[in-house]
Amino acid sequence: MSFLQLVNITKRFGKTMAVDNVSLGIDKGEFIVLLGPSGCGKTTTLRIIAGLELPDSGKVVMEGRDVTYLEPGERNVGMVFQDYALYPHMTVFENIAFPLDVNKRKLGLSKKDIEERVLSVARMLGLEELLDRKVTQLSGGQQQRVALARALVKEPKIWLMDEPLSNIDALLRVQVRAELKKLQMNLGITTVYVTHDQVEALTLADRVAVMNKGRVVQVGAPREIYENPSHVFVATFVGSPPMNIMECKALQDRVECPGFSIKMPEEARVLRGETRVYLGIRPEHIEVFDKPVTGAIEGRLFLKETLGSEQLIYIQLGDVVLKARTAKELAVGIGEQIFLKLNMTKALVFDRETGELLQELSEHVKAAYL
Amino acid sequence: MKPRIKLSVIVINVAMWALALVWILPLYGLTLVSLMPYRVVVTEGWLRIPDLSVITLKNYIDVLTNPLYDIGTGLRNSFVVATLSTIIPVVAAALAAYVFANYDFTLKSMLFTVLLFVMMVPQQLCVVPLFFLFNRLGIYNTFTGIILLHSAWGIAWSTFFLRNYFRLLPRSIIDAARVDNASDFAIFRRIVLPLSKPALITTSVMQFTWVWNDLFYGIVFLVSKDLQVVTQKVIMLKGEFVVDWGLLSAGAILSMLPPLIAYALFNKYFIQGVAGWGVRR
Repeated sequence: MSFLQLVNITKRFGKTMAVDNVSLGIDKGEFIVLLGPSGCGKTTTLRIIAGLELPDSGKVVMEGRDVTYLEPGERNVGMVFQDYALYPHMTVFENIAFPLDVNKRKLGLSKKDIEERVLSVARMLGLEELLDRKVTQLSGGQQQRVALARALVKEPKIWLMDEPLSNIDALLRVQVRAELKKLQMNLGITTVYVTHDQVEALTLADRVAVMNKGRVVQVGAPREIYENPSHVFVATFVGSPPMNIMECKALQDRVECPGFSIKMPEEARVLRGETRVYLGIRPEHIEVFDKPVTGAIEGRLFLKETLGSEQLIYIQLGDVVLKARTAKELAVGIGEQIFLKLNMTKALVFDRETGELLQELSEHVKAAYL
Repeated sequence: MKPRIKLSVIVINVAMWALALVWILPLYGLTLVSLMPYRVVVTEGWLRIPDLSVITLKNYIDVLTNPLYDIGTGLRNSFVVATLSTIIPVVAAALAAYVFANYDFTLKSMLFTVLLFVMMVPQQLCVVPLFFLFNRLGIYNTFTGIILLHSAWGIAWSTFFLRNYFRLLPRSIIDAARVDNASDFAIFRRIVLPLSKPALITTSVMQFTWVWNDLFYGIVFLVSKDLQVVTQKVIMLKGEFVVDWGLLSAGAILSMLPPLIAYALFNKYFIQGVAGWGVRR
């Protein structure tokens, strides 16, 4: 049984369905990231785990115990908020000590015990020099560490984080991200982390739960989410730039796409009628050439973006624009002919109605040839 | 190039200065009269550049020392009444406002509407039933009675004011404290109150001023000479047949001083309290 389990959680705000029948199991010591666009219900899900929101239906189970109706303070969770939610009138020390101080009688802690625990957490996060400062005098990165310390000091069973890195600048974010992951691994603390930033999700998580419109669309290891998205939403949300999606038609003997078609092998002719599908392929699986090559299809260069060592090539193919990522220097001007080879072994086919991955058809396309 | 000043800016400035002048004129007159001997006031009037040679503090000394006027007792009574009538409603209102700002419960909006209605009721309208009620309860002509009365009026608007301010505090701070297992009272006392200092001070100063300046309830509910508040005493400075304007003005200014000092002391909180929490961030 999972350490933390969400069972059929549903939550509405007025007419808006915030969380729609979400079930999720989280193992002890696992780092799970809830990833999705804003308004997808990830923060509400986190707040339900924390006890700050009551679900309309469903249960939250921690270590086999139903905690759905328990007050937040009784769940022994630590939470880091997006705006850090530090107490602005208190010093760093007072902020970190607050969770212990308000419970000192219950926990049987003396003033000295509290001091020791605050100091040890502060040392771990490099805050011991700042303990006497007011939190309003700290930089964003320092405030963030105070928030982490406050969430850690009571030794919670679960660490909940609501976009904790979104308010610090890009350079620092990369550094803090790495520190955070290291800290979590060292402490072995079960962590639920909410973000809309897919890079953060993929780098931090043991498993990612991608959410959209209140539902969990896919749960899996970061690699799996990236390489085998089970839904066109996941395919387009994860990856930067996202997966190229083409509106295609799957017929009995071929898949027709804008600018090219894929002939299906004999054994793959399972379709009876016509199916409207999406063909998805990641930018790194499109190879581009400035001269005609066998098996390549022809398009026009739409735009070139330089990303340092690599280039992002936008190619007009019929009425769609595909993105390809390449390290090659191409002698092609805007609007001129360009040739591309799609690595079909990496392509995926999704149903255009439901957005679901069509596993079988994808396998056939992978086996097919241009 | 020199920045050109727009005509509209000039017009607005002139209008504002004119308005400010009109606004301040009565206070100027009052101060001047309080510093002039009776003879000069009645013979020469006050609306002019003061003749410094006639300026005197005699009126103030008279007001404070003449046992007939008894302003000292009035000031002391006002202080007791206004202080208690400030502490009681602000404490009660802060507790109520915390609940209104942070909790959902049945009839919440109805209760809040009732509160707003209380703010709109004219005080004069309640005076007759209150008179009978106070008589029945045996608190007519006592400090207890008038303090309860002022507190009751104060709670309504203070709750409204504080609730609006508490709602401006970032919700996540309260959530964080709840996750940290702080009780409601701990959140209120250790988080909400310290962060709402400007609003609490503003409410207190406004309520204090309000009660201090009250004359109507004083006249109705405090009849004994030893219980009367300063505003009642100031009226007494006006004789039945002769009005010593200088004396009356000095009394009025003395009675205005405590609220004025309070405003001056807490001015910086006042702006934050009215403008809301956002100012400090």
